[in-house]
Amino acid sequence: MKSAMIFRLLMLAGGLALALLPSFAQAAPPVERVFRIEASSFAYKPGQIQLNLGDRVTLELVSMDVVHGLYLDGYDLSLTADPGQTARLTFVADRAGSFRFRCNVTCGAMHPFMIGKLTVGPNHSFTLAAGLTISAIAIFLLIHPRRASQ
Amino acid sequence: MKREILARILLLALCLVVVLIPLALRDRSLTLRARMPEDDGWSPQVIQAAAGQPLRLRLTSEDVTHGFAVGQMEMASVDVLPGVVSEVTLLFDEPGIYTFFCTRWCGLNHWRMRGTIEVSGGDAPALADAPLYVALGLDIDAPHPVPGVPSQIPSAARGGQLAEIVSLAEFSTPEYYRAHSPYQVYQDLVSTNLNAAERWDVVSYLWRSQTTAEGLAEGARLYAQNCAACHGETGGGDGVFADQLAASGQSSSQTMHGSMSARTPADFTDAQNMLGASPALLQGKLMRGGMGTGMPMWGVIFTEEQSWNIIAFLYSFQFQYQGVTR
Repeated sequence: MKSAMIFRLLMLAGGLALALLPSFAQAAPPVERVFRIEASSFAYKPGQIQLNLGDRVTLELVSMDVVHGLYLDGYDLSLTADPGQTARLTFVADRAGSFRFRCNVTCGAMHPFMIGKLTVGPNHSFTLAAGLTISAIAIFLLIHPRRASQ
Repeated sequence: MKREILARILLLALCLVVVLIPLALRDRSLTLRARMPEDDGWSPQVIQAAAGQPLRLRLTSEDVTHGFAVGQMEMASVDVLPGVVSEVTLLFDEPGIYTFFCTRWCGLNHWRMRGTIEVSGGDAPALADAPLYVALGLDIDAPHPVPGVPSQIPSAARGGQLAEIVSLAEFSTPEYYRAHSPYQVYQDLVSTNLNAAERWDVVSYLWRSQTTAEGLAEGARLYAQNCAACHGETGGGDGVFADQLAASGQSSSQTMHGSMSARTPADFTDAQNMLGASPALLQGKLMRGGMGTGMPMWGVIFTEEQSWNIIAFLYSFQFQYQGVTR
Protein backbone atom coordinates (compact mmCIF):
# COMPACT_ATOMS: atom_id res chain seq x y z
CA MET A 1 0.00 0.00 0.00
CA LYS A 2 2.75 2.40 1.01
CA SER A 3 4.97 1.47 -1.91
CA ALA A 4 2.03 2.09 -4.27
CA MET A 5 1.62 5.56 -2.74
CA ILE A 6 5.33 6.34 -3.20
CA PHE A 7 5.13 5.13 -6.80
CA ARG A 8 2.20 7.50 -7.49
CA LEU A 9 4.01 10.45 -5.89
CA LEU A 10 7.11 9.66 -7.95
CA MET A 11 4.93 9.47 -11.06
CA LEU A 12 3.48 12.92 -10.28
CA ALA A 13 6.95 14.40 -9.69
CA GLY A 14 8.28 12.81 -12.90
CA GLY A 15 5.36 14.08 -14.94
CA LEU A 16 5.72 17.64 -13.63
CA ALA A 17 9.47 17.54 -14.24
CA LEU A 18 8.92 16.38 -17.84
CA ALA A 19 6.39 19.17 -18.37
CA LEU A 20 8.25 22.06 -16.79
CA LEU A 21 12.00 21.40 -16.86
CA PRO A 22 12.62 22.04 -20.60
CA SER A 23 11.36 25.61 -20.09
CA PHE A 24 14.16 26.25 -17.61
CA ALA A 25 16.78 24.53 -19.73
CA GLN A 26 19.29 26.66 -21.60
CA ALA A 27 17.88 27.68 -25.00
CA ALA A 28 19.74 26.45 -28.07
CA PRO A 29 22.61 28.79 -29.04
CA PRO A 30 21.71 31.16 -31.93
CA VAL A 31 22.71 29.91 -35.38
CA GLU A 32 22.58 31.11 -38.97
CA ARG A 33 19.65 29.66 -40.86
CA VAL A 34 18.63 29.93 -44.49
CA PHE A 35 15.12 29.05 -45.59
CA ARG A 36 14.19 28.78 -49.25
CA ILE A 37 10.46 29.40 -49.56
CA GLU A 38 8.85 28.56 -52.88
CA ALA A 39 5.70 30.52 -53.58
CA SER A 40 3.27 29.20 -56.16
CA SER A 41 -0.47 29.34 -56.79
CA PHE A 42 -1.56 30.52 -53.39
CA ALA A 43 0.75 28.45 -51.17
CA TYR A 44 4.19 28.68 -49.63
CA LYS A 45 6.46 25.67 -49.58
CA PRO A 46 7.37 25.14 -46.74
CA GLY A 47 4.33 26.70 -45.17
CA GLN A 48 5.66 26.42 -41.63
CA ILE A 49 9.04 27.48 -40.37
CA GLN A 50 10.46 26.71 -36.95
CA LEU A 51 13.46 28.49 -35.48
CA ASN A 52 14.99 29.44 -32.17
CA LEU A 53 15.09 32.79 -30.45
CA GLY A 54 18.15 34.80 -31.48
CA ASP A 55 18.74 32.92 -34.73
CA ARG A 56 19.97 34.92 -37.66
CA VAL A 57 17.54 34.01 -40.42
CA THR A 58 17.76 34.51 -44.17
CA LEU A 59 14.53 34.04 -46.07
CA GLU A 60 14.83 33.37 -49.78
CA LEU A 61 11.54 33.89 -51.56
CA VAL A 62 11.38 32.14 -54.94
CA SER A 63 8.32 32.67 -57.06
CA MET A 64 7.33 29.68 -59.17
CA ASP A 65 4.58 31.32 -61.23
CA VAL A 66 3.60 34.96 -60.80
CA VAL A 67 4.81 37.84 -58.68
CA HIS A 68 4.31 37.05 -54.99
CA GLY A 69 5.13 38.81 -51.76
CA LEU A 70 5.75 37.82 -48.18
CA TYR A 71 4.78 40.02 -45.25
CA LEU A 72 5.78 38.78 -41.81
CA ASP A 73 3.39 39.80 -39.06
CA GLY A 74 4.96 40.96 -35.79
CA TYR A 75 8.30 41.67 -37.42
CA ASP A 76 6.86 44.06 -40.01
CA LEU A 77 9.12 42.77 -42.78
CA SER A 78 8.22 42.31 -46.39
CA LEU A 79 9.64 40.77 -49.55
CA THR A 80 8.51 40.79 -53.17
CA ALA A 81 9.73 38.23 -55.69
CA ASP A 82 9.09 38.07 -59.43
CA PRO A 83 9.76 34.74 -61.14
CA GLY A 84 13.46 34.57 -61.93
CA GLN A 85 14.34 37.18 -59.31
CA THR A 86 14.90 35.51 -55.96
CA ALA A 87 14.33 37.98 -53.13
CA ARG A 88 16.40 37.69 -49.96
CA LEU A 89 15.95 39.14 -46.51
CA THR A 90 18.08 38.64 -43.39
CA PHE A 91 16.90 39.41 -39.87
CA VAL A 92 17.49 38.34 -36.29
CA ALA A 93 14.56 36.47 -34.71
CA ASP A 94 14.39 38.48 -31.49
CA ARG A 95 10.69 37.99 -30.76
CA ALA A 96 9.36 34.67 -29.55
CA GLY A 97 5.99 33.34 -30.61
CA SER A 98 4.09 32.27 -33.71
CA PHE A 99 3.72 34.76 -36.51
CA ARG A 100 1.71 34.59 -39.71
CA PHE A 101 3.33 35.47 -42.99
CA ARG A 102 1.14 36.16 -45.96
CA CYS A 103 1.32 37.28 -49.56
CA ASN A 104 1.13 41.06 -49.89
CA VAL A 105 1.03 41.24 -53.68
CA THR A 106 -2.36 40.60 -55.25
CA CYS A 107 -1.52 37.42 -57.12
CA GLY A 108 -4.90 35.96 -58.06
CA ALA A 109 -8.28 34.77 -56.88
CA MET A 110 -7.08 32.85 -53.81
CA HIS A 111 -4.52 35.48 -52.83
CA PRO A 112 -6.13 36.22 -49.42
CA PHE A 113 -5.62 32.58 -48.40
CA MET A 114 -1.91 32.50 -49.17
CA ILE A 115 -0.50 32.31 -45.66
CA GLY A 116 2.22 30.54 -43.72
CA LYS A 117 3.49 30.38 -40.17
CA LEU A 118 6.81 31.25 -38.57
CA THR A 119 7.38 29.95 -35.06
CA VAL A 120 10.18 31.42 -32.99
CA GLY A 121 11.15 29.59 -29.80
CA PRO A 122 11.92 26.06 -28.62
CA ASN A 123 9.25 23.46 -29.29
CA HIS A 124 8.21 22.22 -25.83
CA SER A 125 4.64 21.40 -26.69
CA PHE A 126 5.19 17.62 -26.89
CA THR A 127 7.04 17.26 -23.58
CA LEU A 128 4.59 19.66 -21.96
CA ALA A 129 1.59 17.66 -23.14
CA ALA A 130 3.17 14.30 -22.21
CA GLY A 131 4.25 15.55 -18.73
CA LEU A 132 0.87 17.05 -17.94
CA THR A 133 -0.90 13.85 -19.02
CA ILE A 134 1.30 11.71 -16.74
CA SER A 135 0.77 14.17 -13.84
CA ALA A 136 -2.98 14.11 -14.37
CA ILE A 137 -3.04 10.31 -14.22
CA ALA A 138 -0.93 10.39 -11.03
CA ILE A 139 -3.27 12.94 -9.40
CA PHE A 140 -6.29 10.86 -10.40
CA LEU A 141 -4.71 7.78 -8.78
CA LEU A 142 -3.86 9.78 -5.62
CA ILE A 143 -7.43 11.04 -5.26
CA HIS A 144 -9.06 7.66 -5.94
CA PRO A 145 -6.59 5.20 -4.34
CA ARG A 146 -9.25 2.53 -3.75
CA ARG A 147 -10.50 2.30 -7.30
CA ALA A 148 -6.94 1.98 -8.50
CA SER A 149 -6.03 -0.80 -6.02
CA GLN A 150 -9.10 -2.93 -6.70
CA MET B 1 -44.48 89.69 -68.27
CA LYS B 2 -41.02 91.01 -68.97
CA ARG B 3 -39.92 89.90 -65.53
CA GLU B 4 -41.09 86.36 -66.15
CA ILE B 5 -39.10 86.09 -69.39
CA LEU B 6 -36.06 87.41 -67.55
CA ALA B 7 -36.60 84.83 -64.82
CA ARG B 8 -36.89 82.05 -67.38
CA ILE B 9 -33.70 83.11 -69.13
CA LEU B 10 -31.91 83.29 -65.80
CA LEU B 11 -33.11 79.83 -64.87
CA LEU B 12 -32.02 78.44 -68.25
CA ALA B 13 -28.60 80.06 -67.86
CA LEU B 14 -28.21 78.57 -64.39
CA CYS B 15 -29.10 75.11 -65.67
CA LEU B 16 -26.52 75.46 -68.45
CA VAL B 17 -23.83 76.50 -65.95
CA VAL B 18 -24.63 73.51 -63.76
CA VAL B 19 -24.19 71.19 -66.74
CA LEU B 20 -21.06 72.92 -68.02
CA ILE B 21 -19.14 73.04 -64.72
CA PRO B 22 -18.41 69.29 -64.53
CA LEU B 23 -17.64 69.25 -68.27
CA ALA B 24 -15.13 72.07 -67.84
CA LEU B 25 -13.52 70.51 -64.78
CA ARG B 26 -13.48 67.03 -66.26
CA ASP B 27 -10.21 65.19 -65.84
CA ARG B 28 -8.71 64.92 -69.28
CA SER B 29 -6.35 62.11 -68.34
CA LEU B 30 -6.96 58.70 -69.81
CA THR B 31 -7.64 55.66 -67.65
CA LEU B 32 -5.68 52.59 -68.67
CA ARG B 33 -7.06 49.38 -67.20
CA ALA B 34 -4.96 46.24 -66.85
CA ARG B 35 -6.29 42.71 -66.92
CA MET B 36 -4.46 39.43 -67.30
CA PRO B 37 -3.55 38.69 -70.95
CA GLU B 38 -6.02 35.77 -70.96
CA ASP B 39 -8.72 38.40 -70.29
CA ASP B 40 -7.59 40.77 -73.06
CA GLY B 41 -4.74 42.54 -71.30
CA TRP B 42 -4.64 46.32 -71.52
CA SER B 43 -7.68 48.39 -72.24
CA PRO B 44 -7.36 50.45 -74.36
CA GLN B 45 -4.56 48.71 -76.26
CA VAL B 46 -3.83 51.68 -78.52
CA ILE B 47 -3.37 55.16 -77.07
CA GLN B 48 -3.13 58.33 -79.15
CA ALA B 49 -0.77 61.09 -78.07
CA ALA B 50 0.97 64.11 -79.54
CA ALA B 51 4.68 64.78 -79.54
CA GLY B 52 5.77 67.44 -77.06
CA GLN B 53 2.51 67.30 -75.13
CA PRO B 54 2.32 65.52 -71.80
CA LEU B 55 0.18 62.38 -71.76
CA ARG B 56 -1.44 61.80 -68.39
CA LEU B 57 -2.44 58.24 -67.64
CA ARG B 58 -4.37 56.86 -64.72
CA LEU B 59 -3.41 53.22 -64.25
CA THR B 60 -5.41 50.63 -62.42
CA SER B 61 -5.74 46.87 -62.39
CA GLU B 62 -8.92 44.86 -62.49
CA ASP B 63 -7.41 41.59 -61.28
CA VAL B 64 -3.85 41.00 -60.10
CA THR B 65 -0.71 43.08 -59.71
CA HIS B 66 0.65 44.37 -63.01
CA GLY B 67 3.34 46.86 -63.94
CA PHE B 68 3.61 49.55 -66.59
CA ALA B 69 6.60 50.79 -68.56
CA VAL B 70 7.21 52.12 -72.05
CA GLY B 71 9.87 50.43 -74.16
CA GLN B 72 13.00 52.34 -75.25
CA MET B 73 12.21 55.12 -72.80
CA GLU B 74 14.04 56.23 -69.69
CA MET B 75 11.41 55.61 -67.05
CA ALA B 76 11.00 53.66 -63.85
CA SER B 77 8.27 51.06 -64.12
CA VAL B 78 5.05 51.82 -62.24
CA ASP B 79 3.19 49.14 -60.32
CA VAL B 80 -0.45 48.78 -61.37
CA LEU B 81 -2.43 47.51 -58.40
CA PRO B 82 -6.06 46.45 -58.03
CA GLY B 83 -8.07 49.02 -56.15
CA VAL B 84 -5.39 51.69 -56.53
CA VAL B 85 -5.07 54.34 -59.23
CA SER B 86 -1.46 55.23 -60.05
CA GLU B 87 -0.88 58.33 -62.12
CA VAL B 88 1.92 58.67 -64.60
CA THR B 89 2.74 61.50 -66.98
CA LEU B 90 4.67 60.73 -70.14
CA LEU B 91 6.31 63.16 -72.51
CA PHE B 92 7.26 62.05 -76.00
CA ASP B 93 9.77 64.20 -77.85
CA GLU B 94 9.64 62.28 -81.11
CA PRO B 95 6.57 61.10 -83.03
CA GLY B 96 6.36 57.39 -83.66
CA ILE B 97 4.85 54.21 -82.31
CA TYR B 98 5.92 53.26 -78.80
CA THR B 99 5.21 49.96 -77.07
CA PHE B 100 4.14 49.79 -73.46
CA PHE B 101 4.31 46.52 -71.58
CA CYS B 102 3.61 44.78 -68.28
CA THR B 103 6.60 44.66 -65.92
CA ARG B 104 5.23 42.38 -63.18
CA TRP B 105 4.91 38.65 -63.83
CA CYS B 106 1.13 38.37 -63.81
CA GLY B 107 0.83 34.92 -65.38
CA LEU B 108 2.21 32.48 -67.96
CA ASN B 109 1.29 34.86 -70.78
CA HIS B 110 2.63 37.93 -68.99
CA TRP B 111 4.96 38.76 -71.86
CA ARG B 112 2.03 38.98 -74.30
CA MET B 113 0.63 41.89 -72.34
CA ARG B 114 1.57 44.83 -74.49
CA GLY B 115 -0.02 47.85 -76.13
CA THR B 116 1.05 50.78 -78.27
CA ILE B 117 1.10 54.54 -77.98
CA GLU B 118 0.83 56.31 -81.34
CA VAL B 119 2.54 59.66 -81.05
CA SER B 120 1.62 62.04 -83.86
CA GLY B 121 2.96 65.43 -84.88
CA GLY B 122 6.13 66.75 -86.49
CA ASP B 123 7.94 64.97 -89.26
CA ALA B 124 7.44 61.30 -89.89
CA PRO B 125 10.10 59.38 -87.94
CA ALA B 126 13.08 58.17 -89.90
CA LEU B 127 12.98 54.44 -90.55
CA ALA B 128 15.16 52.54 -88.14
CA ASP B 129 18.28 50.91 -89.52
CA ALA B 130 17.94 47.23 -90.31
CA PRO B 131 19.31 45.11 -87.48
CA LEU B 132 22.88 43.94 -87.83
CA TYR B 133 21.98 40.31 -88.50
CA VAL B 134 20.07 41.40 -91.63
CA ALA B 135 22.99 43.47 -92.88
CA LEU B 136 25.32 40.50 -92.31
CA GLY B 137 22.88 38.12 -93.97
CA LEU B 138 22.78 35.76 -91.00
CA ASP B 139 20.19 33.00 -90.81
CA ILE B 140 19.33 33.28 -87.13
CA ASP B 141 17.17 30.14 -87.18
CA ALA B 142 19.96 27.84 -88.39
CA PRO B 143 21.60 25.66 -85.73
CA HIS B 144 25.09 26.82 -84.82
CA PRO B 145 26.88 24.14 -82.80
CA VAL B 146 30.66 24.16 -82.60
CA PRO B 147 32.78 21.04 -83.21
CA GLY B 148 34.92 21.51 -80.09
CA VAL B 149 34.52 23.26 -76.77
CA PRO B 150 37.23 24.51 -74.40
CA SER B 151 38.44 22.00 -71.83
CA GLN B 152 38.33 24.63 -69.07
CA ILE B 153 36.37 27.85 -68.66
CA PRO B 154 38.26 30.52 -70.64
CA SER B 155 39.56 33.26 -68.36
CA ALA B 156 39.66 36.89 -69.41
CA ALA B 157 42.38 37.60 -66.82
CA ARG B 158 44.72 34.95 -68.29
CA GLY B 159 43.82 36.15 -71.78
CA GLY B 160 44.75 39.69 -70.78
CA GLN B 161 48.27 38.58 -69.89
CA LEU B 162 48.62 36.84 -73.27
CA ALA B 163 47.23 39.90 -75.07
CA GLU B 164 50.39 41.78 -74.11
CA ILE B 165 52.61 39.42 -76.09
CA VAL B 166 50.54 38.91 -79.24
CA SER B 167 49.09 41.45 -81.65
CA LEU B 168 45.29 41.54 -81.45
CA ALA B 169 44.53 44.83 -83.21
CA GLU B 170 42.47 43.24 -85.99
CA PHE B 171 40.32 41.30 -83.48
CA SER B 172 39.68 44.21 -81.15
CA THR B 173 37.16 46.33 -83.07
CA PRO B 174 33.46 46.34 -82.13
CA GLU B 175 32.57 45.47 -85.74
CA TYR B 176 34.73 42.35 -85.66
CA TYR B 177 33.38 41.31 -82.26
CA ARG B 178 29.73 41.65 -83.28
CA ALA B 179 30.08 39.77 -86.54
CA HIS B 180 32.08 36.78 -85.28
CA SER B 181 31.24 33.92 -82.97
CA PRO B 182 33.76 33.06 -80.24
CA TYR B 183 34.60 29.86 -82.15
CA GLN B 184 35.37 31.79 -85.35
CA VAL B 185 37.71 34.06 -83.42
CA TYR B 186 39.31 31.03 -81.78
CA GLN B 187 40.03 29.67 -85.25
CA ASP B 188 41.25 33.00 -86.62
CA LEU B 189 43.70 33.17 -83.70
CA VAL B 190 45.61 30.15 -85.09
CA SER B 191 47.96 32.69 -86.69
CA THR B 192 49.18 33.72 -83.22
CA ASN B 193 50.82 30.33 -82.50
CA LEU B 194 49.11 30.03 -79.12
CA ASN B 195 47.82 26.68 -77.92
CA ALA B 196 44.12 25.86 -77.76
CA ALA B 197 43.55 26.79 -74.11
CA GLU B 198 45.46 30.05 -74.55
CA ARG B 199 43.46 30.97 -77.63
CA TRP B 200 40.19 30.46 -75.73
CA ASP B 201 41.55 32.67 -72.94
CA VAL B 202 42.31 35.38 -75.50
CA VAL B 203 38.77 35.07 -76.91
CA SER B 204 37.43 35.53 -73.37
CA TYR B 205 39.64 38.61 -72.97
CA LEU B 206 38.49 40.06 -76.32
CA TRP B 207 34.83 39.53 -75.40
CA ARG B 208 35.30 41.11 -72.00
CA SER B 209 37.14 44.09 -73.48
CA GLN B 210 34.12 44.88 -75.68
CA THR B 211 32.01 45.70 -72.64
CA THR B 212 32.42 47.45 -69.30
CA ALA B 213 31.65 46.58 -65.71
CA GLU B 214 28.64 48.94 -65.88
CA GLY B 215 27.45 47.39 -69.15
CA LEU B 216 27.62 43.90 -67.65
CA ALA B 217 25.78 45.10 -64.54
CA GLU B 218 22.98 46.60 -66.64
CA GLY B 219 22.84 43.42 -68.73
CA ALA B 220 22.56 41.35 -65.55
CA ARG B 221 19.76 43.57 -64.24
CA LEU B 222 17.76 43.41 -67.48
CA TYR B 223 18.36 39.66 -67.67
CA ALA B 224 17.01 39.13 -64.15
CA GLN B 225 13.95 41.27 -64.82
CA ASN B 226 13.01 39.99 -68.24
CA CYS B 227 14.75 36.72 -69.08
CA ALA B 228 15.46 34.73 -65.91
CA ALA B 229 11.89 33.52 -65.39
CA CYS B 230 12.26 31.26 -68.44
CA HIS B 231 16.03 31.01 -69.03
CA GLY B 232 16.86 30.57 -65.34
CA GLU B 233 18.75 32.74 -62.90
CA THR B 234 21.94 30.85 -63.72
CA GLY B 235 21.29 30.73 -67.47
CA GLY B 236 20.60 27.01 -67.66
CA GLY B 237 17.30 27.32 -69.56
CA ASP B 238 15.59 25.94 -66.46
CA GLY B 239 13.64 28.95 -65.20
CA VAL B 240 10.44 28.49 -63.25
CA PHE B 241 8.36 28.84 -66.42
CA ALA B 242 10.36 26.35 -68.50
CA ASP B 243 8.17 23.35 -67.61
CA GLN B 244 4.93 25.22 -68.15
CA LEU B 245 6.16 26.53 -71.49
CA ALA B 246 7.05 23.03 -72.64
CA ALA B 247 3.60 21.79 -71.60
CA SER B 248 1.74 24.61 -73.33
CA GLY B 249 4.04 24.37 -76.36
CA GLN B 250 3.06 20.74 -76.90
CA SER B 251 -0.60 21.63 -77.28
CA SER B 252 -0.16 24.82 -79.29
CA SER B 253 2.50 23.72 -81.75
CA GLN B 254 0.35 21.61 -84.06
CA THR B 255 1.21 22.70 -87.59
CA MET B 256 0.25 21.56 -91.09
CA HIS B 257 3.32 19.34 -91.08
CA GLY B 258 2.41 17.58 -87.86
CA SER B 259 3.44 18.66 -84.44
CA MET B 260 6.60 20.64 -83.93
CA SER B 261 8.91 19.58 -81.19
CA ALA B 262 8.20 21.69 -78.15
CA ARG B 263 11.36 23.65 -77.54
CA THR B 264 12.45 24.67 -74.12
CA PRO B 265 14.17 28.02 -73.42
CA ALA B 266 17.76 28.28 -74.68
CA ASP B 267 20.46 27.09 -72.30
CA PHE B 268 23.15 29.78 -72.12
CA THR B 269 25.48 27.51 -70.19
CA ASP B 270 25.66 25.14 -73.18
CA ALA B 271 29.08 25.87 -74.68
CA GLN B 272 28.31 24.06 -77.95
CA ASN B 273 25.59 26.54 -78.84
CA MET B 274 26.83 29.70 -77.18
CA LEU B 275 30.37 29.64 -78.57
CA GLY B 276 29.00 29.21 -82.10
CA ALA B 277 26.78 32.27 -81.86
CA SER B 278 28.02 35.72 -82.79
CA PRO B 279 26.72 38.78 -80.90
CA ALA B 280 24.85 39.85 -84.05
CA LEU B 281 23.11 36.47 -84.22
CA LEU B 282 22.11 36.59 -80.56
CA GLN B 283 20.90 40.16 -80.99
CA GLY B 284 18.74 39.04 -83.92
CA LYS B 285 17.18 36.29 -81.82
CA LEU B 286 16.64 38.68 -78.91
CA MET B 287 15.16 41.53 -80.91
CA ARG B 288 13.02 39.43 -83.25
CA GLY B 289 12.00 36.58 -80.92
CA GLY B 290 10.02 33.64 -82.20
CA MET B 291 12.18 30.63 -83.12
CA GLY B 292 9.07 28.46 -82.72
CA THR B 293 9.19 29.07 -78.98
CA GLY B 294 7.51 31.47 -76.62
CA MET B 295 10.42 33.90 -76.99
CA PRO B 296 8.96 37.42 -77.14
CA MET B 297 10.03 40.11 -79.58
CA TRP B 298 12.20 42.51 -77.60
CA GLY B 299 13.09 44.87 -80.45
CA VAL B 300 10.38 47.31 -79.43
CA ILE B 301 11.32 47.20 -75.74
CA PHE B 302 15.12 47.34 -75.51
CA THR B 303 17.28 50.04 -76.95
CA GLU B 304 20.22 49.01 -79.14
CA GLU B 305 22.62 49.68 -76.27
CA GLN B 306 20.57 47.64 -73.81
CA SER B 307 20.52 44.71 -76.23
CA TRP B 308 24.34 44.71 -76.54
CA ASN B 309 24.64 44.85 -72.74
CA ILE B 310 22.35 41.85 -72.36
CA ILE B 311 24.32 39.93 -74.98
CA ALA B 312 27.63 40.81 -73.30
CA PHE B 313 26.14 39.45 -70.09
CA LEU B 314 24.96 36.23 -71.79
CA TYR B 315 28.56 35.37 -72.74
CA SER B 316 29.53 35.64 -69.06
CA PHE B 317 27.86 32.22 -68.63
CA GLN B 318 30.70 30.87 -70.83
CA PHE B 319 33.67 33.01 -69.86
CA GLN B 320 35.39 33.67 -66.56
CA TYR B 321 35.45 37.46 -66.17
CA GLN B 322 36.73 37.51 -62.61
CA GLY B 323 39.88 39.51 -62.10
CA VAL B 324 38.98 42.07 -64.78
CA THR B 325 37.69 45.23 -63.16
CA ARG B 326 37.37 47.69 -66.00
